[in-house]
Amino acid sequence: MALLTLENVTKRFGGLTAVNDFSLEIHPGESLAIVGPNGSGKTTLYNIISGVYFPEEGRVIFEGKDITTLPSYKRAPRGLGRTFQIPRPFGSASVRENVAVGAMFGTLSGTVSVDESLAIADCYIERVGLFPHRDKAAGSLTPVEKKLMEIARALAMRPKLLLMDEALAGMHPKDIDAMVAFLQTIQEEEDIAIVSMVEHIMRAVVGFAERVVVMYQGAKLCDEPTEQALCDSRVVEVYLGHPPGEGHA
Amino acid sequence: MRAKIVKYYPLIPVYAAYLILFLIGKNVPGMWQLMAMLAFYCAIGQAFNIFLGMTGYVDFGYVAFMGVGTYGMALSIVHLYQVEWLGVGIIVIGLILAVVMASLLSIAVGAVALRLRGAYFAIATIGVNEGFRYFIEGAKIWGGSEGIIFSGQLTQAFGRETASVLSTLWADIIIFFIAGIAAFITIYYMRGKIGYALTALREDEDAAKVMGINVTKYKIIAFITSASLAGSIGAMAWALKLTYVFPSEVFEIHYTIECIIIVLLGGAGTLLGPVVGGLIYGLSKYWLTVVLPGFQLLIFAPIIIIIIVAFPEGVIGVLKRRVRGSVLEKFII
Repeated sequence: MALLTLENVTKRFGGLTAVNDFSLEIHPGESLAIVGPNGSGKTTLYNIISGVYFPEEGRVIFEGKDITTLPSYKRAPRGLGRTFQIPRPFGSASVRENVAVGAMFGTLSGTVSVDESLAIADCYIERVGLFPHRDKAAGSLTPVEKKLMEIARALAMRPKLLLMDEALAGMHPKDIDAMVAFLQTIQEEEDIAIVSMVEHIMRAVVGFAERVVVMYQGAKLCDEPTEQALCDSRVVEVYLGHPPGEGHA
Repeated sequence: MRAKIVKYYPLIPVYAAYLILFLIGKNVPGMWQLMAMLAFYCAIGQAFNIFLGMTGYVDFGYVAFMGVGTYGMALSIVHLYQVEWLGVGIIVIGLILAVVMASLLSIAVGAVALRLRGAYFAIATIGVNEGFRYFIEGAKIWGGSEGIIFSGQLTQAFGRETASVLSTLWADIIIFFIAGIAAFITIYYMRGKIGYALTALREDEDAAKVMGINVTKYKIIAFITSASLAGSIGAMAWALKLTYVFPSEVFEIHYTIECIIIVLLGGAGTLLGPVVGGLIYGLSKYWLTVVLPGFQLLIFAPIIIIIIVAFPEGVIGVLKRRVRGSVLEKFII
């Protein structure tokens, strides 16, 4: 059974249709990349899945239950975690407290005490390599550290589905490789389905995703295993423009 | 067990400050009124901090909760003073009524205004105290604009001696207790799940929601807690102490502004902040009243400007960063 199903989802902002009749299935434990140029509706799609926006049409089904209009704070305890394109740390709180919030209100919500949450936080902070910074205010971290902290915070939620929004953008290629390796390990250990959204870091897509969904103007352009998707002429066209000789009118 | 107690260490400087105020007031002749006033400022700062400091929402109508609390106590005394067997129970009932009325009002206000954010929330709440005042005056309930004067009833219920001790001594002592309770609730919240939720929503409400935090629930809990403490402070410091209540006096917005100054001056969202803020503010106001009578009201504006420009984190906010890593860290938050 699919972990998350989007059924013909449409979201409009006034006259602009940001996501248009979009359907998608995400399976437990899979790694999927959603790619697409700027403005193709990726972030809107994430916001629909995490409950920031409700779609005008269509349904969102998580583990067999319709969550189309479920408030976002009720989705996290069911197993939906996400990171943001521009990291959104709780700036004045320490890294440790930030990550503990994830543990406290994620799927473990109600079963862990504050102290246990802090212990869980320490474990994930260690894993993303931020242990020396754990008592720093999250707002004082470097941009890359903030991204790592967000990943730790999302992982501490023990999600079944993790949505990562441009988590690897702005990182050094070496760090990207390390991050991809780390995500693969975590994914195997904890059986999380990870959806990563990338604009143009093909290195990460190739290294990480089993399947690629290409979005273009709010709709699905293709949904194929990675190798095929990258060779798809439509994808190449969307990303790189027309091959020489065929140019625009 | 020990780890649990360590978490409450920051209460030590707070309670020490209150104890010192109390001892000075009791032992130095002529100081009781001043010390009681300082305790009052610390108490309202501490109560308001639970909402303003922890959620980052500014409630300009905050004084309304103190106002209805004052009425709670007044109504209890006026209606029950002939019931002899109640004894001091009248005061207890008054206090409970004050808390209940303030929390009911906070639920009503919160249900509407807490849907708004930031400046919109602040603007929506500005009308609450004025609205409530005009409602009492216009509808002529609870004595309308003439208020309720109940010194007579208080004397009849308890006799001249006891009534005088109640309003000149016990009203103040209970303020010390309320301040202490407010401090305890503050740290209890800070150390609990709610504290993490409030910090998260103060920093980034949308991100907090996506992280699974029911922001509305936690905001309302903080709002009701803060309001009911305000109600109890009104019941003691205004009703029982002054033995009268006028709508034009208890719904004055400048008390809200005093609360805001105290919290920001000491450090919003810190435990020790409102105590420090209350002491600095109370003392400077008192000192100005003595040296430049009439000018004390002028200090509001410069204080606010100086805090916001020079040290937006407040005294304790700055100090907290300084002591990071030292022994004092455990005591100052």
